[in-house]
Amino acid sequence: MFYFMQILCYPLRQGIFILLGLMTLALHAEVQIPAIENSSLDPKIKGRILIEELNCVACHQEPKMMTSSKKSPRLSEVSSRLSPDYLKNFLIDPSGTKPGTLMPNMLSHLNDKEREKVAESITHYLVSINKKVPFQIRVPDSVAAEQGEVLFHQVGCVACHSPRDKNGKEIMKLGSVPLGPLENKYSHKGLTEFLRRPHSSRPSGRMPDLGLPQQDIEKISHYLLREIKVPGNLEYMTWRGKVWEGLDGDVQKESAGQTSDFNLESIGKIHHQTAIKYSGFLKITEMGTYTFHLELNGGSLSIGGKQLFSENPSNRRGTKKFKFSTKLDKGSSELELVYFHTGRGPKFILEIEGPGMKKGPISSEMLTVYDRPIKVTEALEPDPVLVANGKEHFERLGCANCHDDLKGKINSYPEMAKLRPRNGCLGKSKNAPQYDLHEDQKTMILSALPVNGLPILSDKERIQKTLVQFNCIACHDRAGLGGIDPDRNKYFTGSKPELGNQGRVPPPLTHVGAKLTNSWLTEVIMHGGRQRDYLNTRMPSFREKEVESLIGLFEKNDSLEEMSYPKVTNIKESKNAGYEMIGATGLSCIACHDFNGQRSGGAGALELINVTKRLKKNWFHLYMRNPSRFHPTVIMPSYWPGGQAIRKEILNGKTDLQIEALWNYLSDGERAKNPKGLSRQSLTLKVADETVMCRGRGTAGYRGIGVGYPERISLAFDSEQMALKQIWKGEFAHINHGSFHARGNERIQFPEGIPFHRLASMDDAWPYKGKTDYLFPQSHGYQYKGYYLSPEKRPTFMYEYGTIKVEDFFKDQLDDNGKAFFTRTVTFSTVAKQEPFFFRLGSGKEIKNIGKAWKVDRLSLSLHEDMKTLIREGDSKDLLLPVHLNKGKTIIKIDYKW
Amino acid sequence: MDCHLKQYILFIMLLVWNQTKTAAQELGEMWGTAEEEEQYYTITNIPIPPGVPMRPGSFEILPDKRLAVGTRRGDVYFISGAFDTPPNPTYHLYASGQDEIFGLSWRDGSLTITQFGEVTKLTDSDGDGTADRFDTLSNNWGYAEGHEFAFGSKHDPDGNIWVALGLSGSYHSRNIFRGWAVKVTPEGKMIPVCSGLRSPGGVGANKEGVMFCIESQGPWNGSCSLKHLKEGAFLGHPASYNWYQFAEGIDTPKIEPQTNSRIAIEKKRVKELVPPVILFPYIKMGRSISGFRLNQTKGKFGPFENQLFFGDYTLSIIMRATTEKINGVWQGACYPFREGLSTGIMNVEFSPEGQLIAGGFTTNRQWPVRGEASFAIQRLDWTGKIPFEIKEINILKDGFMIHFTKELNPVIASDATNYSMTTYTHNYSAGYGSPEVDHTIPKINKATVSDDSLSVRLKVNGIEEGHIHDFDLEKIKSLSDRPLLHSKAYYTVNEIPKE
Repeated sequence: MFYFMQILCYPLRQGIFILLGLMTLALHAEVQIPAIENSSLDPKIKGRILIEELNCVACHQEPKMMTSSKKSPRLSEVSSRLSPDYLKNFLIDPSGTKPGTLMPNMLSHLNDKEREKVAESITHYLVSINKKVPFQIRVPDSVAAEQGEVLFHQVGCVACHSPRDKNGKEIMKLGSVPLGPLENKYSHKGLTEFLRRPHSSRPSGRMPDLGLPQQDIEKISHYLLREIKVPGNLEYMTWRGKVWEGLDGDVQKESAGQTSDFNLESIGKIHHQTAIKYSGFLKITEMGTYTFHLELNGGSLSIGGKQLFSENPSNRRGTKKFKFSTKLDKGSSELELVYFHTGRGPKFILEIEGPGMKKGPISSEMLTVYDRPIKVTEALEPDPVLVANGKEHFERLGCANCHDDLKGKINSYPEMAKLRPRNGCLGKSKNAPQYDLHEDQKTMILSALPVNGLPILSDKERIQKTLVQFNCIACHDRAGLGGIDPDRNKYFTGSKPELGNQGRVPPPLTHVGAKLTNSWLTEVIMHGGRQRDYLNTRMPSFREKEVESLIGLFEKNDSLEEMSYPKVTNIKESKNAGYEMIGATGLSCIACHDFNGQRSGGAGALELINVTKRLKKNWFHLYMRNPSRFHPTVIMPSYWPGGQAIRKEILNGKTDLQIEALWNYLSDGERAKNPKGLSRQSLTLKVADETVMCRGRGTAGYRGIGVGYPERISLAFDSEQMALKQIWKGEFAHINHGSFHARGNERIQFPEGIPFHRLASMDDAWPYKGKTDYLFPQSHGYQYKGYYLSPEKRPTFMYEYGTIKVEDFFKDQLDDNGKAFFTRTVTFSTVAKQEPFFFRLGSGKEIKNIGKAWKVDRLSLSLHEDMKTLIREGDSKDLLLPVHLNKGKTIIKIDYKW
Repeated sequence: MDCHLKQYILFIMLLVWNQTKTAAQELGEMWGTAEEEEQYYTITNIPIPPGVPMRPGSFEILPDKRLAVGTRRGDVYFISGAFDTPPNPTYHLYASGQDEIFGLSWRDGSLTITQFGEVTKLTDSDGDGTADRFDTLSNNWGYAEGHEFAFGSKHDPDGNIWVALGLSGSYHSRNIFRGWAVKVTPEGKMIPVCSGLRSPGGVGANKEGVMFCIESQGPWNGSCSLKHLKEGAFLGHPASYNWYQFAEGIDTPKIEPQTNSRIAIEKKRVKELVPPVILFPYIKMGRSISGFRLNQTKGKFGPFENQLFFGDYTLSIIMRATTEKINGVWQGACYPFREGLSTGIMNVEFSPEGQLIAGGFTTNRQWPVRGEASFAIQRLDWTGKIPFEIKEINILKDGFMIHFTKELNPVIASDATNYSMTTYTHNYSAGYGSPEVDHTIPKINKATVSDDSLSVRLKVNGIEEGHIHDFDLEKIKSLSDRPLLHSKAYYTVNEIPKE
C-alpha cells in the first residue's frame, strides 16, 4: 500500500477521504455494472453482457461479439486529461484506485517494486504520446461548483452515477456506475473536454453525450474537482447586485478563484457594484505593531480572527480613508478582507507599514492561501528510457489489445469458443489479468461462454441486452425491465409541477415502437432530440450503432391493435374542425399544450405542432380515445370517453372523424393556423399561415420593421432610411419591449443608406444616416409614409422620394425546387418626368453577372424586365440600376434568391 | 429583459437611488387613507386573460364605447365590457407589430398612436375589425438611443397630436428635438413647440384646452411637475438648446439658465423660461407621475369636474390637480386622491360611464413600484357618496380661496389659527433633483367662511413667488364634524394676482 502514502501527502481532509474510499473498496471492489444488477434478466444474458462490457473479445476472438462489445478508452491523449500520478496508481491497482472499474489488474504477477517500475514506465510512455496540452491543474471556482452541484444532481448524471452529499461523498456507491475520486484524476480542462465529447475518448458511448451547454459542463467540472488544492497567494470570491446593502442583501455570488495580491486589476475587470472577499494568510517575519492604510467605499478587515476595521458601504458617496494599527506576531495569521466596489469613483487602496517596512501595498510574498505546503501534481517530463520500456510493457502485457487506438502490437490469445472455464482470467493464475469479479459474476460469465457455439438471441433479448448495456433502464421503464431506482426518484425533477410525474420522469419505452415514428426515434436516440423541455433530466445522444438497431427492433416487436381510419373527403373541412377543436372555444387543447412555440396558458404540456412528425397515426387514434391506457397517472382527460365524442356538433360527433381532423390540422406543422385563444405572451414571434410584423430598435436600426412571411423567409426594413436592411430564412424574430432581433439563419445584410440617389460623381459616397446628419434622410427628399396590409397581411411600404411616391412590396414565393425567395415590386408614381437617379440594388465584395441574374456575394438578384445595370467599383461594390421615370407609374420587379 | 424600460425608469426616477433599500414598502409613507377612500371610490380589477400580453401604456375610448389600450409590446387591443359591473371584458386585437405605444387618440374613423419612432394613423379600411393601414404622419424627430421615449396627446381641436420627446438620457440631447415638445398636424407636418424638457410623461389639455405635460425629477428639475407646453417656451433643461437652429420661427434664447439658482430668479434672466405650472413635492405627491386626463364626466365621477387626474408609476396612486392662469402664467394646486392601486400606473382615462381607468405595469423588483402586480388595468368607480375634500384652491391678491366639497363647520373654519401653511421651493440646478429649500411660514391673518359654507377666504401675509404653498387643514371639520379625507394640498405660486 505504499503508493497511497504519496496521496496522503495531500492535506489531511483529502487523506481521510481516500482512506474512507479504501475502506469501502475493501468491501465492494468488484466490477460494477449496476444495470445488470438492477434488471431482472436471465443470468445467461447477464453473463453475455458482462463478457461484452469487459471487452473479452479484444483478446479472445468471437466475431459475433465484436460490434456489441464495449471498446476500452482511447489512450492517445489520456495524459492530457489525467494526472500522471493517477495513471500510475491506477496501473498498479485499478480496482483499488477506482473501485468497481472494469479494468483488470495487469501487473499482479509482479512484486511491489517491479509493479511500480512497470507502471511508471507505462505512464511515461502514455505521457510521451500525448500531442495535446500536458496535464495541468486549475484552481476550482467554488461559486461555479455550487451551481455545478445542482446541475450534477439534476441533468441526469445521477441516473447512473452516485448522488453526493454536501461534502461531496458518494451516497449511493452501490448500484452506481463508479467514478472513483476524480479530484486526483482529472484536470479541469480534461474533464470538461471529456464531458463535452465523451465519445472521443470512450468510443462505445456507455457514457453518452448529454449535449449540455459549455457553461454547464464547466460548472459540473468545477463541482467534481472542487477539492483540488492549488498553492497561491490569495483566494477571492465576488458578488454582484445591490452590494451597498452588504453581503446579506440582494446580491448574487459571481465567481471565485485565486489572485496574486489586493490589486483589483489582478482579478480582471471589476464591474461597478461588485463585492470581493479576499481570504488567505498574512506572513509576518517580524513581530511588532503594523499600521494599515485603507482607501475604499466600504469593507472590513480581520486578521487572526480579530476584526480590525469595518465600514458599511454606500452607493451615495465616494471613498473614505482609514488608518489603524494592530500588533502582529511572527508567522502566518488568517486574513479576511471584504471590499465593496460601489459609490462614486470606486477605488481600493490597501497599504501596510510596520517594523522594517515602509508604507506600501502588501506584496504577494506576504500572502499565501495555505499556511502549510501543498503537494501539486505536476506535468511529467517523459524519460526516453522509461518511454521505451513502457511501450514494450504496454504491448507485452496485451494492453494494446483493448486500447487499440495506439495501434500497438496485438497479442494473440485463445479464441473465446476454446476457452477453458475457471482457467485464465477467471481462474487463480497470477499471470492472467486480474478482474475483481464476484463469484456470481464469474458464474454468469461461465454460463454465457460460447463453448457450444454462441446462442442466438431473440429480438426481445437483444432489446433487453442493449437497454441494459447503455443503462437506458436507469431512466426508462420498458414493460417492467428497469425504471427509476426508488432511491434516485427524487433526483428526477421538472420545471412544470402541474404536469405531475409526467413532467419530471422520462417516458416509458413500453410500446415505443408502436408509438413513435422511426425518424423521431432516430432523432432522439442518436442526436439527443428533446420534446419534453420541462424535464430537467436530459436525454443524451448515444450515436452507437447498437443503440440505433433498437429503432428497427422496437418497430418490429412493438405492436398494438390496428385502427381503421375514416375516409376524409373534404380535407379543408377536416382541418378546420381540427383548428376549432384545438382552440379555446373547442376542446381547448392549448389551455395545457404549447402550440408552435407559444406557451400554453397553464400546464406547459407537450408542443402540439410536432405531433404528426413524432407519433404514429395508429397510436394517436388509440391514445386520444383513452390516454390513461398508456399513462395510468396521466392528467390529460379523454374527450371521447368510451369512444363517444363529447362535442357532438363537430363533424356530427363522429369520434374517428374528429380525431382524424386533429391529425390533419396538426399535420400542417408550423404552418398550422394559430388556434383561437392562443397565448401571445411569447417573446419569440412565430409565423403560421399569415405574415407577422414587429418593430423597434435592433436588426434594422431604431425605426426597424420586421416582417416574417409564411414561406419561412423574413425581412427587416429600416423605416428611417426606407431601406431593406436584412433578409433571412427560418425562424422569424425575437422581440422585447421596443426591440426585435432576427432569428433564423442564412442572413443577407444590406448596406446602410437610402435606396435611391442621384450620384453627382461615381466617386461619391452613397448617403446614409450618420450620427450628426440630423435632418437625414428628409434632407435627401425622403419622407416615410407608413404601410398598408394585403388581405394576407403582407405590408406594402410607402414613402416619398422628392415628388415621387413609392410603394415597396415584398412577396414570399417558392421556386421550382420549393425554395423560398422574395419578389420585390417597387412602384413609382410621379406627375412629371423625373431626373434620372440610381436605385442601389445591392452591395458586396463581389458582384458577378450570371445569365440574367446578378450574384452579389451570396445573394442572387434578377430583374423581371431587361434593364441595364452598372457596377460601381470600390471597397464594397455597388450594383446600380439607373432609373428614368416618366409621368405616371413605373414598376420594377426584382427577385431576391439566396 | 426589459433593460430598455429599466433604463428609462432609471432616468425618470433616479430618485430611487437615494434609498439604500428599495423594497416596495419603503417607497415612502403612504397617505394612510386607502380604507376611507374606498367608501367613495372603489377599485375594480379588469381581468386580463393569461394569453394577452397586456402592459398598458395608453388608453382611449372608442365611439362604440369600447376601451382601446396601446401596449408596450406594440399591440392595440379593443376591450368591450370593461365598464360593466362587474367587468366582463372581451379582448380583441386590433393591431400589432408596433413599437411601444404611449399615446392613443381616436378621430374620424382612425386611431392615431404615438409610438417611439413616429405618430401613426391606424385605419381599418376593409372593415374586418383589424387595422390594415398604418399611415405614418411623422417620424421626423431623432430616435437613436434606447431611452428616448415619446409620449403623445389626444388630438387638439385642430387635429394636432402633441408629442413630448425625452432627452437622450438625463443630461444630453444627442438627436434632433430630444427634449422638445412638437406637434404633428393631420397632414403630417411636424412643428416644434418648445424646448427644455427632460424626461416627460403624459401629455394632455386642461379644461381651457391648453396643452401640458408631466416632467420628472432630475437635472434642472427639483421635483416632478406639470409643465405648460407654451409655444416658443423654454421649460427648464438647457440640453435641448442645440435644436433651435432647426426650429423655424423660434429664436434661440440669448442666455442659458445658471445652475444652483431658483426658477423664480432665472425666469427673470431667461425670458423664454416658463416656470412649472404645478410642482409635486417628492414622495408626498408621487415619485414618478405618468399619464393624466381631464375629468369631464358631467359629475359622474363625483365633485371634481374639470380637474386633472394623474397616475403615479412608483407609488401606484392617483392624484388630482387644478390650474388657473394668473398674470398670463399658468399655475395651480395638486391634491391627494386615491392610493392602493395594484401596479405602476402609466396612464389613465375616463370611461363614458364616468369611471377612471388606470393601468400600467412594473418592470422587475430592481425598479421598485409599490403596487406589486406585474401589470393591471383597474377602474375607479365613484360610489355616489361625496367625500369631504379640499375641492380647489385659487390664489387671490392677498391670500387664497379654498373650496370644499361639503359644507364646513363655520366656527372652526372661521378661526385663522386652524390653518397651517409652510412654503418652500427647490434648487434649480444641473444636479440631480433637489431637497426642499428656502422654507418660510406665511402668516394667516384671517379666515372668512362663505355664506354657503362651501369655501373659505384666507388672508395671508407672506405669499412667496416660485414656492410651493403646503396647506395643512387637519383641524378643519365638516358641518357634521368629520375631518377632511385628505387634509393636504400644494399650491405652486408663480404669480400673485395684481387685482
